[in-house]
Amino acid sequence: MATPSKTPPGADPKQLERTGTVREIGSQAVWSLSSCKPGFGVDQLRDDNLETYWQSDGSQPHLVNIQFRRKTTVKMLCIYADYKSDESYTPSKISVRVGNNFHNLQEVRVRTYTGPTSHIYPPKNSPIRTFMIQVAVLANHQNGRDTHMRQIKIYTPVEESSIGKFPRCTTVDFMMYRTIR
Amino acid sequence: MTVLQEPVQAAVWQALNHYAYMDAVFLAERLYAEVGSEEALYLLATCYFRSGKAYKAYRLLKTHTCSTPQCRYLLAKCCVDLSKLAEGEQVLTGGVLNKQKSQDDIITEFGDSASFTLSLLGHIYCKTDRVAKGSECFQKSLNLNPFLWSPFQSLCHLGEKLDPDQVFRLSSLHIPVAPPPPISPAQNPSHRLDTALMETPQDTLELNRLNLESSNGKLTSDSTVSYIDSSLISPDPCSLLANTVSMGSTGSLLGKPNKPKSGRSLLGGPAALSPLTPSFGILALDPSPGDPGYLQNYSGSLDAQQTAPSKKSVSRIGPSKSVFGQSGNGREVLPIPFSQSQGSAPHSSTSPQVLSPTLVAPPNIQPRRSTRLFTSASSTAKENSKKLKMKFPTKIPNRKTKCKAGLSTPGYQSITLQRAATDMVLYMLRELGRGYQALCCYNCQEAISILSSVPAHHYNTGWVLTHIGRAYFELAEYTQAERVFSEVRRIEAYRVEGMEIYSTTLWHLQKDVALSALSKDLTDMDRLCPQAWCVAGNCFSLQQEHDIAIKFFQRAIQVDPGFAYAYTLLGHEFALTEELDRALACFRNAIRVNNRHYNAWYGLGMIYYKQEKFSLAEIHFKKALSINPQSSVMLCHIGVVQHALKKSDSALETLNRAIGIDPKNPLCKFHRASILFANDKYKAALQELEELKQIVPKESLVYFLIGKVYKKLGQTHLALMNFSWAMDLDPKGANNQIKEAIDKRYLPEDEEPVTEDFLYDSADVEESSMTDADDSQLHTAESDDVL
Repeated sequence: MATPSKTPPGADPKQLERTGTVREIGSQAVWSLSSCKPGFGVDQLRDDNLETYWQSDGSQPHLVNIQFRRKTTVKMLCIYADYKSDESYTPSKISVRVGNNFHNLQEVRVRTYTGPTSHIYPPKNSPIRTFMIQVAVLANHQNGRDTHMRQIKIYTPVEESSIGKFPRCTTVDFMMYRTIR
Repeated sequence: MTVLQEPVQAAVWQALNHYAYMDAVFLAERLYAEVGSEEALYLLATCYFRSGKAYKAYRLLKTHTCSTPQCRYLLAKCCVDLSKLAEGEQVLTGGVLNKQKSQDDIITEFGDSASFTLSLLGHIYCKTDRVAKGSECFQKSLNLNPFLWSPFQSLCHLGEKLDPDQVFRLSSLHIPVAPPPPISPAQNPSHRLDTALMETPQDTLELNRLNLESSNGKLTSDSTVSYIDSSLISPDPCSLLANTVSMGSTGSLLGKPNKPKSGRSLLGGPAALSPLTPSFGILALDPSPGDPGYLQNYSGSLDAQQTAPSKKSVSRIGPSKSVFGQSGNGREVLPIPFSQSQGSAPHSSTSPQVLSPTLVAPPNIQPRRSTRLFTSASSTAKENSKKLKMKFPTKIPNRKTKCKAGLSTPGYQSITLQRAATDMVLYMLRELGRGYQALCCYNCQEAISILSSVPAHHYNTGWVLTHIGRAYFELAEYTQAERVFSEVRRIEAYRVEGMEIYSTTLWHLQKDVALSALSKDLTDMDRLCPQAWCVAGNCFSLQQEHDIAIKFFQRAIQVDPGFAYAYTLLGHEFALTEELDRALACFRNAIRVNNRHYNAWYGLGMIYYKQEKFSLAEIHFKKALSINPQSSVMLCHIGVVQHALKKSDSALETLNRAIGIDPKNPLCKFHRASILFANDKYKAALQELEELKQIVPKESLVYFLIGKVYKKLGQTHLALMNFSWAMDLDPKGANNQIKEAIDKRYLPEDEEPVTEDFLYDSADVEESSMTDADDSQLHTAESDDVL
C-alpha cells in the first residue's frame, strides 16, 4: 500500500466539486494541529489560498486532526503540497488514520509521494464512515524536520437525494423532474 | 388664512407634480410653521412620504394629533411601511384596547379613500395572522372599488375562490361613500337611475345629459339643487366612464365630447353624494375665468374644483371630499379649505368662475389631457388607483369643455364610447383576474389558455407573459417556460417580479450561462430586490457552490423578509449541504410567511424522507399536493414514499395518476418500473423500462434498472450488457452502484471495485486489470448476443 499516487497535474478540487459527485465538508469539522508556527496555523491551512501554508514547529510526526460532530462518510482527502516552493518542507510520507477519538485511531493509508506534486489524494477505496481523521506527516523530502502544508480538503460523496436510493441521473431530462424547487 | 395657504399649497402640489421633492418639502415646512393646521400637516407629511422618507412622515404625524381621515390614512400607511403593524391597525380601527371600529364605520368615516383604507387594513390583518378578517376587508375594498388589483391578488394568494366576473363589475355600490344627507326626492330617481344605469347605461346617460342641458344655463348655486334632483346617476359608473376614457387604449375617446359626461357624472350621484353634486354642478355650470395656465397645469384644474366648493356652505364639506376624491386627488378625503387651496395661482378667483373660458376646442384637449394624465401628481398616486388617477384628471377638462361645447350628439356618442372603454377595462380585469385566479389554484392549463387569449397588445406585456411562464413552470414544462421568460426579458428588461421563477427554470434546465447572465443583469440593476439575490443564489447552486448560494439566499431574506421563496431556496441549499435542521427551519419560515407555498411543504417532506421518517414525509407531501393538485412531480414523490412505507398498491395508483396528469414525466415511469421490480413483477417492469428507453435514451439509470431486472430474471448477459451501457452513459462514474452490481455478479472474488478514473491514474494497477477483465467478458457477452 505504499505505492506512489498522484493526480494528473492540473486536476483541481474545484473541478471535482463541480461534478457534483463530492462535497467539501471541512467546515463541519474541528481542525487541530500538533504544532504550528505563529501565523502559520489552521487558518492558513484552510483558507482556500495556496499561497499560505501551515508550518509545523515540533517533532515528527506532525499531525492534522479532523474531528466531526457526527459520524461522517469521507470519500477522499485532498492535500496540496508543492515541492518547488517548499523543497525540504514538502511532506513525502503521509499516513492517514481514522477512528473515534485520539486513542482509537487506526491507520488506513500510508503513501509516499515523490517529486513535484500538486494535489495528493490518498485514495480510499470505499468511503469510510468515521468520527475522526488524523493526517500524519511521517517524513519530509530531504529529511526536513518541519513541514509545510498548503491546503487540505476533505470530501464526502454526494448521495443521490430526493427520491429513491438510486444512483445519480445523468440526463437533464431526468433531473428536471427529480425535485420541486 | 385660507387665502394665505392657497398659493403656497398650490406651489407645493406643483412641485410634487414635478417630483421636485426638495422644493416641495421646503415650502411645506414653511407653510406648516406658518399655519400649523392639519391640512398643512398632511401636506408636509405627504411631501415627506413621497420623497421616500416614510419615517419622517411617521414621526411628524405621530407627534401631532391627526384627526382627519386622510392624515390617519397616511399615518397608517407609514406605519405599515415601517413594519409597525399594530400601530397602523390602531390608527385605523382604534386598536385592540379601545373599542374597535367595524368596517362599515371605516367606510363611512373614510369616505372616498375607504377602499384603500380597507385594503391596507386587510394587509395588516393578513400579516398578523387574522386571515379571515383580512379577506373580509379585501372583499369590501373590492366591492367599493373594482379597479383595485392588489386586494384581488391578496385574496387569490389566500386561496379564496373569487369570481372575477362579479368582482370586476360596476355596480350601484361603486360610489364614493360620504355621509349622505338624503334628499328624498332625489333618492328614488337616483335609485332608479342606478339600476337603470346598469341595464341601459346609454339611456340613463342620455337622460342625465338632458338634465344637465336643461340646467346648463344656471350659474348660481341654486341650480345645483335642481341638479341633485334631476341628474342623479350613480356617479361612479359615469365617473369611471370618464376615468376609463383616459385609458390609453381608448385614445380616440379622448375628445371633447367626453367631458360633459364626466362633469355630469360628478354632478349626478346617488343621494348619498348629493352634497357633493352641487359643487360639481357649479363647476360644470360656471365657466369661471380660472387661470390661463389651467390648460397647461393640472393643478389649476384642481383649483377649479375646489374654488367652486369654497363658495358653498360648510355643509358642503362632505361633498367636496368626494369631489376631491373623484378628482383623483388620491382618494383623500380633504376638508374644503385644504382642497380649495390646492391648485394654482388664481385663487383669488374663489368665485365660482373656475372654469377657464380659455378652454378651447377639442383638439387641444386631447394633448392637454394626456399631459395632465402624466402630471397628475396632485392625486396621491397609490399604485392601485393608478388607473383612476389617470382618469380623474380628465374630468375637469371634460366638465369645462362640456360647458363650452354644449351637449349634442358628440356628447351622446362619447357616453357610448366611455361606456365601451369602461367595459373594455373591466373586461381586461376580469380576464386577467380569471387567469390569475386559475394560476393561484394551480389550474395551470386553464390559466395558460385564459391568459393566452387576451388581446395581443396586452399579451405582449411583462405581467401577462410572466404569469404564463409561471404556469408552464408549475406544470414542469421548463422549456416552454424558459421560452416565455426570455420573451419577458426581451420586452421588459427592467422587470424583476417573476425572475426568480425564471432562474429556477434555468436551474432545472441546467443552463448555466443564461443563468449567470441573468444573475449579473439583475444584481447590477437592482441590489435591493430579493429576486435578484435569489437568481444569484440559484446560479451558484447550479455550479455546486452551495456555500455561496446560501450566502446569496440569506441576502435575499435580509433584503425582504417577506419573500417566501427565498426561504424555500435557502432550505434546499441547506438540504444539499446536509444541514437538515437548518433546512427544516428555513422551510418552516417559508410556510410562516406564506401558508400556501407548496414548495416549502414539499421541502419539509423531502427532509423527512431523507431522515427516513416516511410517514411524516407523506403527510407533508400530501399537504403540498392539496395546494397544488396538478403536480405530477409531487405525485411521483408521494408514490415513492408510499412504496417506502410498504404501501405498494397505493404507490402504484399514485404513480398511475401522476402519469395520467403528465405523460411526459419520465421519473414517474421509472419509479413505477422500480416498484414493479421490487414487487417481482419483472415483465411489467421491463415493459415500462423499454418505453422509458424510447423517451429518454441517454439516461444511464434506465439501463441500470433494466440490467438489474435481467439479473433477477437470470439473463446475466443481457444484464451485463445493460450495466455496461449504463456505465458508458455515466462516465463521471460516481455510480459505484452500477459497478458493484456488475462485480457482485461476475467478479465476486475481487474486493476492489473500480473507482474514479479521474482521480486515480495508472497507479491502481489491479483495478485496471479488473476493468480489462470486465471488458473482455463483456465483449464476449456482446458477441454472443450479436450472434
